[in-house]
Amino acid sequence: MEVRPGEFMLAKLDDVARWAQSSSVWPLTMGLACCAIEMMSVQAPQYDIARLGSEVFRASPRQADLMIVSGRVAQKMGPIIKRLYDQMADPKWVISMGACASSGGVFDNYAIIQGVDTIIPVDVYVPGCPPTPDGLLYAVNLIQQQIRQGGRGGILAKT
Amino acid sequence: MPSSQTPSIAGYALDPTTVRPPLSDAEILRITPGELRETLVRLREEGCSMLLDVGGVDYLARVPRFDVVYHLLALPAVPASVEEIGTPRRVRVLVGVPGEHPHVPSVTDLWVSADWAEREIYDLFGIVFDGHPNLRRIQMPDDWEGYPLRKDYPLRGPAREATPRPSFALKSNVPAGAPPSGKVAEALRQQIARARGQEK
Repeated sequence: MEVRPGEFMLAKLDDVARWAQSSSVWPLTMGLACCAIEMMSVQAPQYDIARLGSEVFRASPRQADLMIVSGRVAQKMGPIIKRLYDQMADPKWVISMGACASSGGVFDNYAIIQGVDTIIPVDVYVPGCPPTPDGLLYAVNLIQQQIRQGGRGGILAKT
Repeated sequence: MPSSQTPSIAGYALDPTTVRPPLSDAEILRITPGELRETLVRLREEGCSMLLDVGGVDYLARVPRFDVVYHLLALPAVPASVEEIGTPRRVRVLVGVPGEHPHVPSVTDLWVSADWAEREIYDLFGIVFDGHPNLRRIQMPDDWEGYPLRKDYPLRGPAREATPRPSFALKSNVPAGAPPSGKVAEALRQQIARARGQEK
């Protein structure tokens, strides 16, 4: 679509805002375990999450929109993750990456929280041990789809 | 608290260190907590200047129940070539600690490297190191109850021990009594026979 000089377009502000928002989902720099290696490769040139507008991994939760829980969550890490999630500004999304973050995975023991969704709400679960980078990209795609459709946390959401 | 996941005691070698062959590169000393300080001071004066690690072991049924293991290495006091050093001396000191009120004197004043190692053993085995300047948990959360590396600690934690584990043994698609591996092997044999038949 091309807009030449002298022409203009009409659109709903909500749609434009959601379009902008879905194209700049900034993840939080937070690697918990081996899944973080795949998350890093998603950010690296080969898979290049920058194509989706998520190239900036923010080191501060105040500036991040997306939390990628990349690995098993230790009991001691649980309160820290909860706090980081609370510090992120609304609207915010969470991807639970891999078997451990989603269900505890093979670590059915005292030290690991059996699924990060027991402490924070999760939008997309990515299966795998670890998931492929494509899987994580697809999860980001699903988040973007959610935003464009005006799902939870749309920028101009009335509720 | 005894756990349902604890293997039967009869299956244990009570003390593997008694049947293990002696290692050529390390002297092994077995002492009591009372002798610990003087032994380690003596070894340090003899040149074992480096405390590599301190470890804990729980033998559960044995008396004394725990072992605290000190790994020492003799570092050269002056710069020396590899030929002059040869094989450096290594000493492993095993201290038996009783299961009731386990106490061991701390050696943090001799080696600073013992600080975190002793905290870790306190955290995971509940062995108290007398004289440690900062003896608190290091890996588990501060309000954690119990000592997870003890053999009688329930693997999934006290809260979840009673919940059933998922069973992967129940396979509804395999008829009772038929070993699945046999079916796979037979299928493979037929596949190979077919492939050979086509070659001819």
